[in-house]
Amino acid sequence: MEAYIFNLVNLIAIYSILAVTLNFIMGYAGIYSLAHAVFFGLGAYSSAWVAQHVSPSIFVSYPAAMVAAGAVSLLLALPALRVRGEYFVAASLGLQVLSVTIFSEWKSFTGGIGGVLAIPPVDILGLEVFRPAQFAVLSVIVLVVVLLVINALVHSSFGRNLRAIRDSESAAASFGKNVPMIKTISVVISAALAAVAGALYASYLSFINVESFTLDTSVLVMAMVIIGGTGTVAGPIVGAALLLLLPSVISYFDFLPRTEIGSLQQIIYGLGMTLLMIFRPGGIVGRRSGT
Amino acid sequence: MLAIQLAITGLQTGALYALTAVGFSLIFGSTRIFHFAHGATFVIAAYFFYAAFGAGWGLIPGILASALGAVAFGLVLDRLVYVPIQRHEGSFFTVFVASFGVGIAVQNVIGMIFGRGFVTVNTSLSRSVELVPGVYVSPLAWIAIACAAVFLAALQFFMRRTHTGMALRALSDNPELVRTFGLNPRRIQAAAFAIGSVIVVPAAIITSATTGLNPAIGHHVMLISLAATIVGGIGSISGTMLAGVLLGLAESLALLVVDSQWTEAVTFGILFAFIIIRPSGLLGRAAAH
Repeated sequence: MEAYIFNLVNLIAIYSILAVTLNFIMGYAGIYSLAHAVFFGLGAYSSAWVAQHVSPSIFVSYPAAMVAAGAVSLLLALPALRVRGEYFVAASLGLQVLSVTIFSEWKSFTGGIGGVLAIPPVDILGLEVFRPAQFAVLSVIVLVVVLLVINALVHSSFGRNLRAIRDSESAAASFGKNVPMIKTISVVISAALAAVAGALYASYLSFINVESFTLDTSVLVMAMVIIGGTGTVAGPIVGAALLLLLPSVISYFDFLPRTEIGSLQQIIYGLGMTLLMIFRPGGIVGRRSGT
Repeated sequence: MLAIQLAITGLQTGALYALTAVGFSLIFGSTRIFHFAHGATFVIAAYFFYAAFGAGWGLIPGILASALGAVAFGLVLDRLVYVPIQRHEGSFFTVFVASFGVGIAVQNVIGMIFGRGFVTVNTSLSRSVELVPGVYVSPLAWIAIACAAVFLAALQFFMRRTHTGMALRALSDNPELVRTFGLNPRRIQAAAFAIGSVIVVPAAIITSATTGLNPAIGHHVMLISLAATIVGGIGSISGTMLAGVLLGLAESLALLVVDSQWTEAVTFGILFAFIIIRPSGLLGRAAAH
């Protein structure tokens, strides 16, 4: 039971990091990406590779994951600079689909469909962290650090610039803001921090495969942000906790078929997204109607 | 020989892509609603046919059931989801998320009823015939290409020659002006959903007999529709048709160079390139901003 709860804490912390970082570009910069799982995956694969081949130290494998994802995120920044709205959604979808193909084909790096096995536990100054309870401390600390970083960014002049761009790109540009640079930096930061979630995920489970980094994951993370409240601080975490607790809640009701828990979860969050958009576009935490 | 074989297969795929994408293109072009649940319309049309045909109703009742299901779904979604959202604001993203949510729900409901595996409608028409030595074509390929030609020509005629068609084009140009002329934009929007939904029926039925169906196929359908609409140029129905055929051909001919698991990546490579280099698409008018 204890292990079960700590496992849930770990998953919620990891997905919260994903939701918080996606919210950073979605809620503050207006970049609606359906490719967030790509950076989650990149972080997981690169940290796994570094941990196996170089060093499992948190000060080596985690930064490596951030650098890898940050570099690849320039691919996402490219369309973000050129187009908005539906075009960008389409471009990010394209990137997501391409990446899943690459993840399942680049066998020397990702292990293909079979995935990467026996990833060593993360090493913090000689201490190997792998028990769910210990790991929960680590993952919550990382989540708090990510939150602090994002919060500091949002409340700095950089954050004001982002919101200005979201509300009117041309107005921001006419005030002398370097719009392409600000957008690119925000995408890179978001991807690099999402990679931390991937690194946590890889060292926690010690096994990863492409299944965890598909479009479904991107959609799930986006649902977390939207249901919690786009552009709010607490929203993404509320959304992540709610959606990850949903399967346990569903399995609590005995009359529902066990084999359909996954489907029921998706039906509930699908309809939840639709109903929220009709009646409360700001999400659960959000106050304003729509962004 | 292989190239000819792949070109014919590509034409068949492309015909189905064009038929599928044109519905999304019509809805999005005229109403600006990002109807992401278009994939769900396809899934509903296909599974209604599968269920009706499997129950021994025969071909025509099966087609009718499929068309009824698709149109009803499109109209209900327009009435219960899109119209209320448009009433309070209707930013692109709100509509997209609402539509996406419906798509997820439909996929899983269908999965719970029919199972998540692949199902196929059995027919002798999908059996391939050797056309010339080394080139195999099934009658369904010709049916797909013929269906695409007939339905797409009919749609073009409809858009250019009938009042509703002209109203749809007017709505995409200037919704305010439509109102000034005493037309009801909401009714035109409903017409767009009815037509855009019913036109996926032939593709859905043919797909159920060729590659088969699974509940998650809606995602693929949506991705293709989106790709064809953008590559063709948003607002241009002929552009979407052309892009649909070209994407099908490209996917198929790519097999000359790469393995089959890369076909989807080819489509999205093309889409990605278009978005970055030419966002207005093949036949599009305006820019992407």
